[in-house]
Amino acid sequence: MKLAIIIPAYNEAEKISSVVLAVKAAQPESLIIVVDDGSGDATAELAASAGADVLRHKINRGQGAALKTGVEYAFRRYIDAAVFFDADGQMEPSEIKLLAAELSQGYDVVLGSRNLGRALNMPLAKKIAKKLALYFTRFTTGLKLTDTHNGFQAWTSGSLKRLNLGQDRQAYASEVLHEIKRLKLKYCEVPVTIRYTGYSIKKGQSIWNAFGILWDLLIK
Amino acid sequence: MLIQIILLIIIAVIVLRLAVKYRAKELPGKQFISWLVFWLAASAAVIWPQLTVNIANRVGVGRGSDLVVYLALIFLFYILFRLFLRIEKLEKNLTKVARAEALKEKNDSTE
Repeated sequence: MKLAIIIPAYNEAEKISSVVLAVKAAQPESLIIVVDDGSGDATAELAASAGADVLRHKINRGQGAALKTGVEYAFRRYIDAAVFFDADGQMEPSEIKLLAAELSQGYDVVLGSRNLGRALNMPLAKKIAKKLALYFTRFTTGLKLTDTHNGFQAWTSGSLKRLNLGQDRQAYASEVLHEIKRLKLKYCEVPVTIRYTGYSIKKGQSIWNAFGILWDLLIK
Repeated sequence: MLIQIILLIIIAVIVLRLAVKYRAKELPGKQFISWLVFWLAASAAVIWPQLTVNIANRVGVGRGSDLVVYLALIFLFYILFRLFLRIEKLEKNLTKVARAEALKEKNDSTE
């Protein structure tokens, strides 16, 4: 199975090299795609010298938009499946194969879950916000998930081709779940480790962004 | 009354700006005419307030200024909605351009 690892990155110069190298070490056969989403720093150069295929957005368009660019590029390289991975070092590259293994079992989509797995050092406020988001998603999509908005996902290229992603920014994470429901994709969850470090918390989503995401989903 | 003079001055400045934009060809003729009609109607309402009172009474609103506020609010929200859709479309197109550019650049560099 030819696998693409798609890593959207925005101003991740500090971490991107080590993330790409770690992914490469764990998945030497995979195509590693970094989509630099208009970074002002050396993210693109560092990712390229670490051995990733780098695409650059000239201006910042958001994580959803960057992922979609990565997906389109992956199609051109005739991949069988793609894994969405974060650039900030939160995720564990050795777990990519766990998600890919479930795809081989016949699932269309495999979602990482930090609630089945281990979330290391997750701040309490974030826990509460995630819990609320979980109930909201259960209510709106009817998907019985233990974790929502986990960016660690694996998709078969067939299901990716049917996926219609319109949300450029963070709301794409919710949109993906609605798409799974709409397309009646066969999905499962796999426990993953999400490591909350000082860096990832600083770089990541503030819980206040939840309101912005809700706005994108409801109003737009 | 003083308020009438103030409002008329403001409207005159706005109409002047419209004319400048129209002459500089930054504003299409059709839009210029619509805005002109709009502001002329507004100045008529300022000069002859009784006009709006008459219309207001006919549709069952007590005061002319109330009717003007209702209509202005509806108009504003409609414009806001239109702008909102327009920006959304621009954003989507911007993403498409950024994506096409990124893919093309990648394609060129690997050939």
